[in-house]
Amino acid sequence: MSVFHDEVEIEDFEFDEETEAYYFPCPCGDRFCITKEDLENGEEAATCPSCSLIVKVIYDKVELFMSGETVEAPSEPKLQQVQT
Amino acid sequence: METHSRLTFCLYAWGANSYGQLGQSHVEDQCVPRLSDSSALQGRTVRVVDGGGGHSVVLTESGEVFVCGQNDRGQLGLGHSTNVLTLQLCPVLNHRVAKVACGWDFTLLLTDSGQLFACGSNAFGQLGVGQTVTHSSELLAVEVLKEPVVSVAAGLRHSLAVSASGSVYQWGTGLFNHAKRALSPHLVPSHLNSKLPCPVPEEGELFLWGCNKHGQLATAEPFLPSPTLLNRSLLKGEKVMRVCSGWTHVVAQTERGRVFTWGRGDYGQLGRSASVSENEEMLMGIRKDCIPLEVTSLYGATQIVCGSEHNLAIVGGCLLSWGWNEHGMCGDGSQADVFHPRLVSDLRPVVIGCGAGHSMAVCGVTTSLTQNSVHTWEELEHKQSSPFTE
Repeated sequence: MSVFHDEVEIEDFEFDEETEAYYFPCPCGDRFCITKEDLENGEEAATCPSCSLIVKVIYDKVELFMSGETVEAPSEPKLQQVQT
Repeated sequence: METHSRLTFCLYAWGANSYGQLGQSHVEDQCVPRLSDSSALQGRTVRVVDGGGGHSVVLTESGEVFVCGQNDRGQLGLGHSTNVLTLQLCPVLNHRVAKVACGWDFTLLLTDSGQLFACGSNAFGQLGVGQTVTHSSELLAVEVLKEPVVSVAAGLRHSLAVSASGSVYQWGTGLFNHAKRALSPHLVPSHLNSKLPCPVPEEGELFLWGCNKHGQLATAEPFLPSPTLLNRSLLKGEKVMRVCSGWTHVVAQTERGRVFTWGRGDYGQLGRSASVSENEEMLMGIRKDCIPLEVTSLYGATQIVCGSEHNLAIVGGCLLSWGWNEHGMCGDGSQADVFHPRLVSDLRPVVIGCGAGHSMAVCGVTTSLTQNSVHTWEELEHKQSSPFTE
């Protein structure tokens, strides 16, 4: 495994809605890229399409993808419905 | 036969070229200096060349601006967002431009009357025009600065300006989340995250602030939120006259012409070996990559510029390069990193500039006007480009 050029926090990447990917400038002039799907699969290396450099993405998987999905707590009425 | 020789100037460029930033009508990387198509310049003398992530800007002596390369955010200021593969005039109506600074995907133009214009990405507030636009391909006036501006600089996502009265302003955002975590529980100071020009506290000689992941601030602290004076004793007690910075390394020249480097050096960015005696390190009490060390082969350099991880310098009229070389930005024909300043062919540079991963040099070429002349640039290069003459 090659050595990471740098470690960058996911919040410092720019998210592109269209490609559903996160981007960060690469010293060569192109951009490091990691897709949302990659991140969800636990991937942590963002790669540059133009060169050999890769950066390690620092992120908290739980915080990044789970915070938006609120698991509804069963409310009282619903409980009653189930019981009846 | 009477011999006249004429000195002409040509723009050479090499390195990464994904967006046409070399101005050579194509998008192939070049690992040796190649003539750029400078026909648009029509013989004008070039004063400054600078580059961003994927674009290049050429400023002429008469205050005109020529641009090429990546334009997805409108960073070329041409009123559209299509990449441009050869230099084109950027109309800055009724103004003579005195200075330029290229950020990653934005451009700052400073006129000779001290007015600042910006174009390109504003995703991080780096244009200094507030949050109303995400990006602009039209030049926008940075109006918050009430007094004339005398100097500008641009980083990845932030900008700096010096006003006529000597105040330093900063706007845009660096790696905000990195800053936030590094400084926690303290807040990130406003000048590190401002959508409009914000005064930077302190005054003095050479101040460094921001991220210090690679020792680029010459201190042991991981992050410096506010400008911190560099201890002059680290530069043998000499005053700093010029300083330039790559992404994570710094090159400074002192009043006596000595050149010191510090920060990240794993691709050869420092132009020297990293060795510092244990004794000296303990004496300084800081990491060894943070300790500025002299690069003697750069003594007396007349110009020094930094790309993201590579550098160019003019020493004794010769062009030297060192650092990261994966895209041939060191111009030695290889793609192996260069760990000590090395001569780039036999070019005679007068003005040099770097983008993130590309290099540019305006070079003098003596053309003999006799019939039996040899080695004119045309013969050497067989290019369609026309040179510009002084």
